[in-house]
Amino acid sequence: MNFLKRYLLPRMISYFLVIWLGITVVFFIPRLTPNDPVIRMIDQMRARGSTLEPGAMDDIMADLTRMYGLEGSWIEQYGDMWGRLIRGDFGVSFFQFPTPVSQLIGNALPWTLGLLLSTTAITWIFGNILGGIAGYYTRKRWSRVLDTVAMVIRPLPYYIFAFTLLLLFAYLVRWFPITGGASLGALPSFTWEYIMDVLWHSFLPALSLIVLGGVVVFQTMKLLVQNVNAESFVQYAKLGGVTEDRIVGKYIIRNAMLPQITGLALSFGQIFSGALITEIVFGYPGLGMLLYRAILNGDYNLIMGITILSIVGITTAILVVDLTYPLLDPRIRYV
Amino acid sequence: MTAKKATVLQTENLQAFYVLEMQGTQKVVKAVNDVNLQIYENEIYGIAGESGCGKTTLLKTLFNDIVPPLRLMHGKIRYCIDSAEVDVTSLSAEEKRKLRMEFISYIPQGSMSVFNPVQRIRGTFRDFIGSHVSGKNRAEIIESTYQRVVELGLPQNVLDMYPHQLSGGMRQRVTIALASSLNPRIMIGDEPTTALDVVVQRGVIQMLTEIQKSLKNTIILVTHDMGVHANVSDRIGIMYAGKIVEEGTTEQIFAEPAHPYTRFLINSLPKFGDKSMRESVPGSPPSLSNLPQGCPFHPRCPHVKDICRQQMPDFTQLDHDHKVACWLVGEQQHG
Repeated sequence: MNFLKRYLLPRMISYFLVIWLGITVVFFIPRLTPNDPVIRMIDQMRARGSTLEPGAMDDIMADLTRMYGLEGSWIEQYGDMWGRLIRGDFGVSFFQFPTPVSQLIGNALPWTLGLLLSTTAITWIFGNILGGIAGYYTRKRWSRVLDTVAMVIRPLPYYIFAFTLLLLFAYLVRWFPITGGASLGALPSFTWEYIMDVLWHSFLPALSLIVLGGVVVFQTMKLLVQNVNAESFVQYAKLGGVTEDRIVGKYIIRNAMLPQITGLALSFGQIFSGALITEIVFGYPGLGMLLYRAILNGDYNLIMGITILSIVGITTAILVVDLTYPLLDPRIRYV
Repeated sequence: MTAKKATVLQTENLQAFYVLEMQGTQKVVKAVNDVNLQIYENEIYGIAGESGCGKTTLLKTLFNDIVPPLRLMHGKIRYCIDSAEVDVTSLSAEEKRKLRMEFISYIPQGSMSVFNPVQRIRGTFRDFIGSHVSGKNRAEIIESTYQRVVELGLPQNVLDMYPHQLSGGMRQRVTIALASSLNPRIMIGDEPTTALDVVVQRGVIQMLTEIQKSLKNTIILVTHDMGVHANVSDRIGIMYAGKIVEEGTTEQIFAEPAHPYTRFLINSLPKFGDKSMRESVPGSPPSLSNLPQGCPFHPRCPHVKDICRQQMPDFTQLDHDHKVACWLVGEQQHG
């Protein structure tokens, strides 16, 4: 009871407050950019060669403004937006009119989820295992070699690394496709061919994410293990003749994992914003790509839809970490 | 004195130095320099000396925990295990591990975070004891140590607490209970009362002496607190700059201190009714990596003579059990 009143209630209030604040900011920021979606649409029509009479132009602009829900002051639009959001309606995309935003996100989400859930998990597991071993056997030669490799890879800018992979394995040696999430014309199905096709397309983007993300996890974990290994409770356990497997498992790993678990939860929360640069470099049809196009086109509703998903994802991940942490670390108590 | 006692631990010209390599130059810290100790069964042997005189390093070597940068340069450490002499420095890592807790156990300084923070005290007991006993009676032995904790006057629920929930004094008593749980023949205490207030110190000291009386084992107690030595130690070795400079029974050391350094240590203790200023040892202890020639105490000694600057004196036997290494004492015997 005490826990509910003194911790959970304020925590839930701050949770919803953050989401509200985030959505509000995301509502106003696109409206402050010089990108006017109505003008953009007219430009596109002109580019296609259609000529319009001046009167008709005004009519079309008025129609577009009404259809996009951009009538009235910002305050009125803001109110309308919340009215729609509460009903779970993200509105329609301006540039793929009249496709609903939720449908566009629904199409892109499986690609992003498939790529990022797997790479995040693989990155975390391998980074921690290698970092843990290298941190424990820090005097061994191979540990130093691993450390040097990580030190060289880590400062590489992501886009350079990604382009290098693309250049080497998709252009010079054509082992992997240069763009896309699946072969053109392939119909999504649970057949062996289709799954292999998707895996083949996702190999390079996944590799780039795993390698560059993995070295960060590796270095963090190595340092954590080295620090915990020097803690007096580990030294004392050694002086007490505790067996090495117990010391490594229950003393070192158990304590070094605590911050890493937080990190994992946070990276899962970030999945919903997509992997922007990865998806652009590899032409991968995920959320990041969708968001990039939406920003270019001033597609307010689509920007809002993706960003709301990402805000909710990250704040929920933080909430879950906060609520589960006392189970992992007995020193954390909320009451 | 009484009949010859059985030796439980013996060192022979023990030299253990820290060898540090820094940018090609070698730095040697002579932390334990030519120490001959003979420690008997069923006694409390006290080691006293200033900070930085090598007390902790001596304990480490006695505990047979010699890991780089500490190196055993010379000499032997012998334990008397079941009336057989064993040269412990030549044992394998697994044999060394087995001896810990079972034959010789270690009591750390109380202020350190010596328990795994994410585990209840019960779990620490299970890890430490479970690493040394196996087979059918393992659960019984662990259960009986839980009983022991209560017998030693600790509250029953202490086992279900996390380390951060214990006070400093409680934590120290738990470490003593843990160190004594497998009835070791030797218990080593590294400043077990430091960082505790005097009332708690008294409780800790009482607990130590009670355990020693019931197990009839040996305690090697290191502290710079001469008051504690006066109360509990049977014999005292005075350590200065990596050497034992005087050794005798507690009565001998306090009644007839022979070495000028010992006299300074004892004179620094407050006495009832005496309101004069306590005198401290002039100067500060020498650097163990750059010892002065001759007797290491000569730069601070008020009675320094020419020979003190040139040669380290041998031990002079003053009385049964009482010996001192000083040129001022028994000049004739030195020749």
